[in-house]
Amino acid sequence: MSESGIIDYAVLIPLLPMLAFPVILFLGKLFNGTPTWVKNVKEGGIIALTVMGASLILALLVIKEHMHHVGTANIFTWFESSWWNSETGAITTKVFGVGIHIDHLTVMLLFVAAFLCFLINVFSIGYMNTDPINDNRNHRFYAEFVLFCSGMLGMVLADSFLWLFIFWELMGLCSYLLIGFYYERPSASYAAKKAFLTTRVGDVFLVIGLVMLWNLFDGHLDYAYVFNQENIAAVNSGELQIALGMMFIGAVGKSAQFPLHVWLPDAMEGPTPVSALIHAATMVNAGLYLVARMFPFFSGAELGALSTLAIVIACIGGITAVMAALIAFVQMDLKKVLAYSTMSQLAYIFTGLGSALWFANNGYEELAAFAMGASLFHLFNHAMAKGMLFMASGSVIHEMHHAHHEVAHHDDDHHDDHDDHFDAQSMENMGGLASRMPITATAMFVGSMSIIGIPLIGGFWSKEGIIASAWQVALKEPIFLLPALLVLIGAGMTGFYMSRMWFMTFAGKPKTEVAEHVHEQTAWIPIPLVTLTFMTLGAIILAGMHAGHWLGDFDDGHYTNFFDGVGSEMEHVFLNHDPFLMVLTYVAIGLSLVLGPSFAMALYGGSLDKGQKAKPWMQWAINLSAKINKKSKFDNSEWANSSLAESLHKRLHFDDIYDAAVMKIVVGFANLSAIFDSKFIDGAIKAIESTSQNASRRVRALTTGSARDYIMMTALGTLVIFILLWGVA
Amino acid sequence: MDIKNKEFMLIGGLLVVVAGLMAFFPSLSDSDTAVDWISIPLVGFPIIVSCILLAFASQESRARKKIIAVPIRLFTLCASLIPLAISTALFFDWLILVDWDLMYNEFALEKEYVWIESIGVSWHVGMDGLSFPMVWLTSFLVPVTIITTWNEKDGATYHPLLLMMGGALIGVFVSLDLFLFYVFWELTLIPMFFLILKWGGKDRRYAAQKFFIYTFCASVIMLLGLITLYFLQPEGSGSQYGSVTGRTFDMTVLFSNATAYNMGDNVFLGEDMQNILFAMLMLGFLVKLPAVPFHTWLPDAHVQAPTGGSMLLAGVMLKMGAYGMLRLPIAIFPDAVVFYQDIIMAIGLISLVWGAVVCLGQTNLKRMVAYSSVSHMGVILLGIASMQPIGYAAALFMMFAHGIISPMLFAVCGAFKHHYHSMEIGSMRGMAKWSPYLAVYMMFAWMASLGLPLLAGFVAELMVLIAYWPEYGWWILLPGFVLAITAAYYLWSMQRTIFEGGDEGQPPESLNGETPPDITLSENIGMIILAIFTVIFGIFPFIALGMMDQWTVAFFEGVFNSGGI
Repeated sequence: MSESGIIDYAVLIPLLPMLAFPVILFLGKLFNGTPTWVKNVKEGGIIALTVMGASLILALLVIKEHMHHVGTANIFTWFESSWWNSETGAITTKVFGVGIHIDHLTVMLLFVAAFLCFLINVFSIGYMNTDPINDNRNHRFYAEFVLFCSGMLGMVLADSFLWLFIFWELMGLCSYLLIGFYYERPSASYAAKKAFLTTRVGDVFLVIGLVMLWNLFDGHLDYAYVFNQENIAAVNSGELQIALGMMFIGAVGKSAQFPLHVWLPDAMEGPTPVSALIHAATMVNAGLYLVARMFPFFSGAELGALSTLAIVIACIGGITAVMAALIAFVQMDLKKVLAYSTMSQLAYIFTGLGSALWFANNGYEELAAFAMGASLFHLFNHAMAKGMLFMASGSVIHEMHHAHHEVAHHDDDHHDDHDDHFDAQSMENMGGLASRMPITATAMFVGSMSIIGIPLIGGFWSKEGIIASAWQVALKEPIFLLPALLVLIGAGMTGFYMSRMWFMTFAGKPKTEVAEHVHEQTAWIPIPLVTLTFMTLGAIILAGMHAGHWLGDFDDGHYTNFFDGVGSEMEHVFLNHDPFLMVLTYVAIGLSLVLGPSFAMALYGGSLDKGQKAKPWMQWAINLSAKINKKSKFDNSEWANSSLAESLHKRLHFDDIYDAAVMKIVVGFANLSAIFDSKFIDGAIKAIESTSQNASRRVRALTTGSARDYIMMTALGTLVIFILLWGVA
Repeated sequence: MDIKNKEFMLIGGLLVVVAGLMAFFPSLSDSDTAVDWISIPLVGFPIIVSCILLAFASQESRARKKIIAVPIRLFTLCASLIPLAISTALFFDWLILVDWDLMYNEFALEKEYVWIESIGVSWHVGMDGLSFPMVWLTSFLVPVTIITTWNEKDGATYHPLLLMMGGALIGVFVSLDLFLFYVFWELTLIPMFFLILKWGGKDRRYAAQKFFIYTFCASVIMLLGLITLYFLQPEGSGSQYGSVTGRTFDMTVLFSNATAYNMGDNVFLGEDMQNILFAMLMLGFLVKLPAVPFHTWLPDAHVQAPTGGSMLLAGVMLKMGAYGMLRLPIAIFPDAVVFYQDIIMAIGLISLVWGAVVCLGQTNLKRMVAYSSVSHMGVILLGIASMQPIGYAAALFMMFAHGIISPMLFAVCGAFKHHYHSMEIGSMRGMAKWSPYLAVYMMFAWMASLGLPLLAGFVAELMVLIAYWPEYGWWILLPGFVLAITAAYYLWSMQRTIFEGGDEGQPPESLNGETPPDITLSENIGMIILAIFTVIFGIFPFIALGMMDQWTVAFFEGVFNSGGI
């Protein structure tokens, strides 16, 4: 099925960054500190940017070619394995290869990955190279950065589940390295270890799932074989469900879903570009990609045989969506709010995928395609918006740092200990930044609206689809009411915590002296922010072009022209002919647009300082929030001091419980075994040794050196021999 | 004071005798005029050279030894590159065309010379897909080890001992005669014994004795099994058979006898005798591997051994156990393999789990790495117990991959000990600041060992799991659990050595306030070679795996299919 064309060069998309990894590392070691390297090459940033640019162009060419047809290419045979049938003695050989597979799922994620890798690289040059803490080690950052990009692009392009897993692990490694970038901080090294180990637990199950799948499909893991409907039909669907369930646990770990979610908030220890790229826009999507890849199994297997798994996927999603949103309510760290928001939004996509898989497995093809399209479209919108939000938060943190240095510099008394007390990431130190950082504030404003699902912006188009799909399944399958209700409630909660974050940071009066001195001044940073702002606002265009339908069904032919497309989407959302769905839509909009933000405004809203003015598209929101804040006099101290809030601060105790379990049970057992090993297993050997030594000492004692003893022994020996001979005779 | 020198002279003398015997063998068939690429170039040459160097060096005074150390280690390095060049050339057919596509009991470059006619001992060597990767690995590791430990004290005698070790190890892998096999098997103990005794840590005397006596006792049981096997074979006549005993030590004859007898429902030597002999031979090999509960000599030996000794010990010497299993008991007694299948699986699983769990409880870096070897060797047993060609190929690839990765682990430990004078995990934090190169190699080696994809270890682990699932089902959760534990102990040890330490870093107390240095150039070169090959065999496993897969297919055709199990 191989063909020639641009796809032959698709392998370069992950290969170029992979090759750039040693180059940047080596050049960095060689030229570290020289003026050209620091100023012109940006300590490797420009090399990385060139490579990512080349990958992006290649990716765009591949996407253009394969928008509407599947492409495959073989690269080489990886290994051969032989199986022996003990009954017949026949030996069969299986060949396992490496190749590239491109379909609509690949196309969408390839664009997301290549585009965001490039933009975040631009951002990194602004963010990393202007912070003195990174001096002389940025080459390590860029090297690990490109290696990560290689992993992500490779995972998307891989033509089999095994190669998906291989690149998946490569990303895990880079995530580990980049979270621990500031290796000298104990918190960073702890977070890196935690991230790797938690995802590793999921990966173990993923490997077992792959092994089961390998066995079920007769030594094949490549999409071309396993997605063949006849091959799927030939497989025992009970076993298939277990195998896919195992793989889903891997996805849970990678996408930070309940109960393997604990690593993601800690992962914010990494530099902000890392949080934007790995922990918001790309790597955490790997789990979703894996589950989305399972779609053909669900449509090909026996009707209803895999429903349980679909329900489990949706429930995990629903639970995580609400849980993460709850914890986000009380976070004060700007990046941590976004981390929990990421978790929650990924959970939405899991719920959507769960609905799609349920529909697919129960024979509702059109609904399945719709739910699938909505989920993947949400993945796209979320990646764009969340990447932008993280970069915007990075911009805020960066400028807060700068301002803090400025303030501390003027005020020499505090110079010595200023670093220990000031937290540039805490929203308690911000406030009123809307007028001081217009571009960042706008980006954050648009991004938050997209995540909340404000009508007509970004995530709205896809989120409504997910909620509607979940409820449509719930009408047919009562258990699905749980995730359906949870995602509906979650919509309102998202409205609250995202608004809370924006108003705490950008509205009201500055809460510290530092916040008054913040300016938007770093080059490179605004480029990706502006680009992504328009990208998010432009989601309506994609929606109009039936992106949702196209993502759900490759050969969708509905698209006629753009205005009709937008019209039909609008009609579909706002004036649905199904009254149930129409009511549902308005309930969701009411929760996310009115209820959540109103509470946030009442609590955290406020007008800017006198003389400060935000851009008009944000000023109205600030004015509104100030009005609501004044009018409502809403007091939440009772809530804030409740035991629920306390346990939310402690992240619902998951981390404590896991830590305790690992430290007490696993490490305790390991220490006991180490003692057992040296005391008993080695002790037994030592006992043999000492016994034989004692025995030899006894025997040696017979050698007295006295002739009388020897004559005695000789006599005794002769006597014994004589008696024996006599006895035999 | 000169006792050590005399000891060296003694081994030197013994080895010269062995080498001399080898040089004077009459060839069995006169018609065969092909060059013998194995006996002298791969086995004899390193041993003879190292003996001469040792004999020469041991006569010198202490002061002179320091002076002659430089030329001797250069000469040793050059000498060690010759077997590497030859084995590489044999793989790529640069010297002669070698047909590696062999049937069972066929060997490439086979050569046979009569040695002790009366009891049927011959110098019989040859290579197949089982032994060749190990031969190449050994010839590759010796120069790498010499480079990595370039600055070891007493280089005049240290480096020749490594070379001798390499020759003896290759001898184990190429011998096709039980007697010869056993001679080389025990010969490997001698250089290692002295490496530990002379260059080891504080407890080196205890460790060297334990290492020697423990493995020697196990080998004696194996020897008893081999002799019983020798006498139970049918008598025959011919050049291979002894003129007095009428029996032969020749492996190829043994294999063809066993295969011929195992045809149909027959059981070679009877079922009970098979099971007993299998157990006796396996015991010797399991101690060498080592498998739990026979593993306790390994951590002691490793912790006390010098870096070079550890690298060869973990890299090749442990694999002698796995090699011996596949070469002898499993090939000769297929029915016993089926009989013991579950027990082998259980021992493998226990080694795997126990090794990993104990690792987590270690505070000494090198001890932890030693236990991780125990854990990884369990994987080989699982591959064997799967009774599938893919499992056997995975076991072979595990031997090979671990043979590249574990020397790197020990090289890192050695460099750590060398520069920081401590092995305690946690005594040094923030190493990345002081020794960035060492930190990078440590992270690389640790990641390779925990089975990161695209590095050599992953393919083997994955294939073992694939072979394991159809046979043992949900027991697979235990190896899976070990994958997580392995990551835990490696990451935990990295967190407390490479990472942390605050902005200033926190050099260990053992340095007494001096600035810790980064690794030396020679250590750097040695480790980067190992790292490059780890990546090469991780991305292109088929380079080695192709030959291994061919061998396993031939092995199953020859052993299990003819057995009619």
